[in-house]
Amino acid sequence: MCHVSVGHVARLLEESGIATVVVGIRAFRPRLEEMALPRVLITPHMMGRTLGPPGDRDRQRAAVIAALELLEEAEQPETLVDLPGAYRPGGDQ
Amino acid sequence: MPDQTRNESFEEFKNSFAYGSRTDLNFKFLAGFPDEEAGRFVQDLLWKLGDVIDDGQCDRIVEHVYEWQVHAYAGAGDYAYEGGPFTPLEKPLSQSRLVLMSSSGHFVEGEDPGPFGVKNMTQAEAAERILQCLRSEPTLSAIPVGTPREKLMVRHGGYDVRGARLDPNAVFPHEILLDLEEEGVIGELVPEAYSFVGACSQRRLLNQSGPRWVRLLQEREVDAALLVPV
Repeated sequence: MCHVSVGHVARLLEESGIATVVVGIRAFRPRLEEMALPRVLITPHMMGRTLGPPGDRDRQRAAVIAALELLEEAEQPETLVDLPGAYRPGGDQ
Repeated sequence: MPDQTRNESFEEFKNSFAYGSRTDLNFKFLAGFPDEEAGRFVQDLLWKLGDVIDDGQCDRIVEHVYEWQVHAYAGAGDYAYEGGPFTPLEKPLSQSRLVLMSSSGHFVEGEDPGPFGVKNMTQAEAAERILQCLRSEPTLSAIPVGTPREKLMVRHGGYDVRGARLDPNAVFPHEILLDLEEEGVIGELVPEAYSFVGACSQRRLLNQSGPRWVRLLQEREVDAALLVPV
């Protein structure tokens, strides 16, 4: 339900002239797709760890940067991009 | 705890992880599977655990859970739209004002939103009240970016918050955005980020909270928003 809630916030913000990018996990890709959101980054991560494993700053940062690039570069609505790689346990805490 | 006076069926066992006697939000998806499929998940998990015993490679366990999570939630939701609004980013990001909003359920210590009038609600109680939560209007918590981890609380009845508690940046990347602001990638980060519990009434979100939040961000002169669901 969280992904739908954030999708709705994205739609409201876009209607009011604020550009948005939503970062969601692959498990909820179909739900985000059907909401026709302007920009979506899909991460190959676990629920509750959308941007990457806790403590894995490199992975989290890569996800944030990919989302921000999408914000800047998407030229048309419903642009959906997959973050490559995989969820890894551990990292540098 | 399960009733000890009778044998528990496998169906009861698998369902107990979803808001039952064994609530574990990482595995609540098991309740959505028929017995045979849930049984296959458990059997394969144990088999892979056997491999870990021999070679210590835990990634296969994480991958197993990940693939089943994807499989479990693969269906479509209740909100399908034909097209939608699109606001281009007018300026480069390095000149834009960005806000962070997450549905992670974070809040600052001492500023507990107190859902349903309950003070200091525990994570376990939040999970018990999930149905009530899904009928309610969400509350937005303002969080100064850079708030120290020990002051950042999290509670959410819809997902396992252990990762978000251990490292908020896993779902609420305020520290990462601060770094990117300092590096000049982002023009300006709105000093307050926002979080709410995304398990909420969609009707109330769309008609009440959402429009209020939009006005709030317009007042903050936000150009763009990074939105992170959990």
